[in-house]
Amino acid sequence: MLRKGITESFGAAIHALNTTQLTDGVINRSKRMMLDTLGVGLLGTRTAVFNKALAYSQLFTSHESSSVWGKSEITLPPHYAAFVNGIAVHSMDFDDTWHPATHPSGAVLPALLALAETLPSQPSGLDLLLAFNVGIEVQGRLMRFSREAYNIPERFHPPSVVGVMGSAAASAKLLGLSPAQCTNALAIAASSAGAPLANAATQTKPLHIGNAARRGLEAAQLAQRGLEGNPAILDVNCGFGVYYKDYSPSAMAVSASSDFKWILEDQDVAFKRIPAHLGMHWVVDAALAARAKLENSVRNFDLSQIRHVTLRVPPSKYVDCPFPATEHQARHSFQFNASCALLDNKVTVSSFSEAQINRPALKELLSKVEVETPKDNLPSFDKMYCEVEMETDQGQRYVARCDTFYGHWRKPLSQKDLVEKFSVNASSVLCTEGVEGVIDVTGNIERVRECSILGSYLRMTSSQHEQLYSTRSL
Amino acid sequence: MKIPYSLRVLRRPAPEDTVTDSFGKFISEVKPQHLSSVVLHRSKRMVLDSIGVGVIGSTTDVFELALQHCQHMYAPDDISSVYGRRGTRLSPTLAAFVNGVATHSMDFDDTWHPATHPSGAVLPAVLALSDMMSANSKPSGLDFLLAFNIGIEIQGRLMRFSNEAHNIPKRFHPPSVVGTMGSAAACARLLSLDPSQCSHALAIATSLSGAPMANAATQSKPLHIGNASRLGLEAALLASRGLEASSLVLDAVTGVAGFNAFYEDYVPQPLELSNDDGHMFLLEEQDMAFKRFPAHLGMHWVADAAASVHKILVGFGPGTVCPAQVQDILLRVPKSKYINRPFPDSEHEARHSFQFNACSALLDGEVTVQSFTPAALRRPDLLALLSRVRMEHPQDNPANFNSMYGEVQVTLVGGDILKGHCDTFYGHWRNPLTNESLRKKFRNNAGAVLPSEKVERLIDVVEELDRLGDCRALLSQLQ
Repeated sequence: MLRKGITESFGAAIHALNTTQLTDGVINRSKRMMLDTLGVGLLGTRTAVFNKALAYSQLFTSHESSSVWGKSEITLPPHYAAFVNGIAVHSMDFDDTWHPATHPSGAVLPALLALAETLPSQPSGLDLLLAFNVGIEVQGRLMRFSREAYNIPERFHPPSVVGVMGSAAASAKLLGLSPAQCTNALAIAASSAGAPLANAATQTKPLHIGNAARRGLEAAQLAQRGLEGNPAILDVNCGFGVYYKDYSPSAMAVSASSDFKWILEDQDVAFKRIPAHLGMHWVVDAALAARAKLENSVRNFDLSQIRHVTLRVPPSKYVDCPFPATEHQARHSFQFNASCALLDNKVTVSSFSEAQINRPALKELLSKVEVETPKDNLPSFDKMYCEVEMETDQGQRYVARCDTFYGHWRKPLSQKDLVEKFSVNASSVLCTEGVEGVIDVTGNIERVRECSILGSYLRMTSSQHEQLYSTRSL
Repeated sequence: MKIPYSLRVLRRPAPEDTVTDSFGKFISEVKPQHLSSVVLHRSKRMVLDSIGVGVIGSTTDVFELALQHCQHMYAPDDISSVYGRRGTRLSPTLAAFVNGVATHSMDFDDTWHPATHPSGAVLPAVLALSDMMSANSKPSGLDFLLAFNIGIEIQGRLMRFSNEAHNIPKRFHPPSVVGTMGSAAACARLLSLDPSQCSHALAIATSLSGAPMANAATQSKPLHIGNASRLGLEAALLASRGLEASSLVLDAVTGVAGFNAFYEDYVPQPLELSNDDGHMFLLEEQDMAFKRFPAHLGMHWVADAAASVHKILVGFGPGTVCPAQVQDILLRVPKSKYINRPFPDSEHEARHSFQFNACSALLDGEVTVQSFTPAALRRPDLLALLSRVRMEHPQDNPANFNSMYGEVQVTLVGGDILKGHCDTFYGHWRNPLTNESLRKKFRNNAGAVLPSEKVERLIDVVEELDRLGDCRALLSQLQ
């Protein structure tokens, strides 16, 4: 059998990459990802799915345990801390999105923080930053092995495919595994990859990220114990290739002494302004713009004047949901998000509560919405657009189109707005000292001596029992 | 003409209409009296064999590694027994994990058609969960056996949804696909979940299924069964806490893959429970193969074929086969990359090598547990024979455990040609192991670790399982 050595090149690269190779650009971008991830994770610790996962995870105990974000009293075995914190991150579909499509940070950061807390010698902030970027880079590399990965998925949920590999790589890095062990970590992780898309838009979707984090960490630890898998797992079609219809892997070349070109440097992530599938951001921005046009030209504007709404969107079955019944479906519905924007002039965290979803006015508007999938609207987060057209009873038409929403990698959130998103999210759970502590530590992570300090801020909950979170939208 | 939404009839499938819900209903509502005597008999044989291979599997390196991992990562938990390790108990999902790893560690466990290793994914989870249930609500032996059979049945039903599943796998390792589902089903039943929760357990399990074939023939393969068992149990426990997932996971929805993500062709069928008291479990129609030696099922054909050549050779001259006599060995076998290994490097590869198993049987007259030790792997006589092997993949030899054959043709130095052919090895479902042979295998396996009183008690308890009032009699004998 011809060995192409691709898997081994990944193992060698994970081992060899070092802190001097982190560029300013990559450090800057990845710190933003960390902050955003922690914020959405903290907010997510108040969701039903997180609570169910937490109750389940408390069946397990261990000698060394790791923090549960947003909980001052509870700790869990590291695998389960990674599991529940990962679930929290993805619980509201509020976490970062990359191109090719996946949610890269939620699969990696929870695993690293959980692992860091149990290491006998505390990693520095820079060690954490490096391991994090290794986890992101490996995901980016793997997605570039197939054309299928560039489009909105239909078969496997990408975080469940590449996320566990990223977590394994990052954990292997933080553990300081040898090249061979890093290779085995990837091989072992591959057997934990691949959750079908059908569970997107359900309560189970967040577990895809939680499990990616957990099982990638486990893979690295099993590799550390000497477990071996197929050393050509990335090379062969019957290995990692099973998750893709077309698969063309290539090696990862790293020289410890020279510059390294991180994918994150070329391709930024998108941060969400709305806790919903990325596609919703286009349709919301378009709907808001169309509404503004209507408002500007009609005095005493009243939504009942709308006869018909047409959405022109890319074809993607799992976000085409005319009458969502649950919060999870609502986050994956072009129709719902457009209608919400038209009705309320904003879409926020609170738009997805059960009461809000079931509003009669919203349902009435939903019944007037129709979806079209024009041929030129490609199911790719890099190429898609959304158009919203309203027709009034008077026969007037108002159209607006969004090519690039604010928060997309082509139009990134300003640092001010990113920090504001974090503050609003984190304040629902942490006291001010905790909120500011996380901002401060993350902002200066490369200078922090022991990254465990982050964990202590993540546990600084507010003394109030009832949290009122702001519904300010960005 | 564009039809406005308000006029479109939006039909949500009624619960009884979906395949997913029919599975949930079956798991929750099938009754012990639906188990026929044939199914009871066959499933008890599976339980016995599975425990035996699990117990001997507790002597392997990969098991030790998995156990230490669990013991290191988690505090001791006095709940679920670990096979063959007196006094060692773990949290239920971790016990299911390590016992599942043990079961598949030597590739010695049962194989079905369509191909999978059904018991190792289900039994460890059912045992672990039974240990978890409180003392005054332990399942009866019959409840236990019913849950086990549900776990097997669900696997069989799912595999029949695709033609791809009928052949030796190429993409996903079947136990990692259907095994997790079977475990979830069995555990959901044991937890007495309602039909909706049972459906959700399956859907949650789907997101935990699917490992690539590339890790077969490596040390990671046993973890596929360990994880199937563990994660299926986890799925059922999460469902019991109200976690919800896709209600159409088994149905085929275009544009959004569910369970069909794992197959190229997929036609799901609802699982109906008939109104009269009969349900035909698949195990009644399709029996199980039990292995006589710890290697991939395909090896059993060539081993039997080679063993018959060995018998002839030994009849010729002195009592051993000498490589110097052999000029050429031709194997006629189905085409399957992952069991075609001319020079296996490890015990895991050797268990997945037509060449290795044929040569071992040619040399020794049989393949046994001992054929895969490090010393046995390196025998000069064996290596000499291996270097003389050629492979052919005849058109009439499909990669399918129901239809394949194995042929070994040995050309001697003098020019004589000896041929062995095997259509159905002893242990295959068409020629099942007798109860005597099955018990002998069990005694050899379990007896390597447990004292003989426990071994005999296990045989008796499993035989009586459907009549036991309380499955604790079984749970207490495993270590």
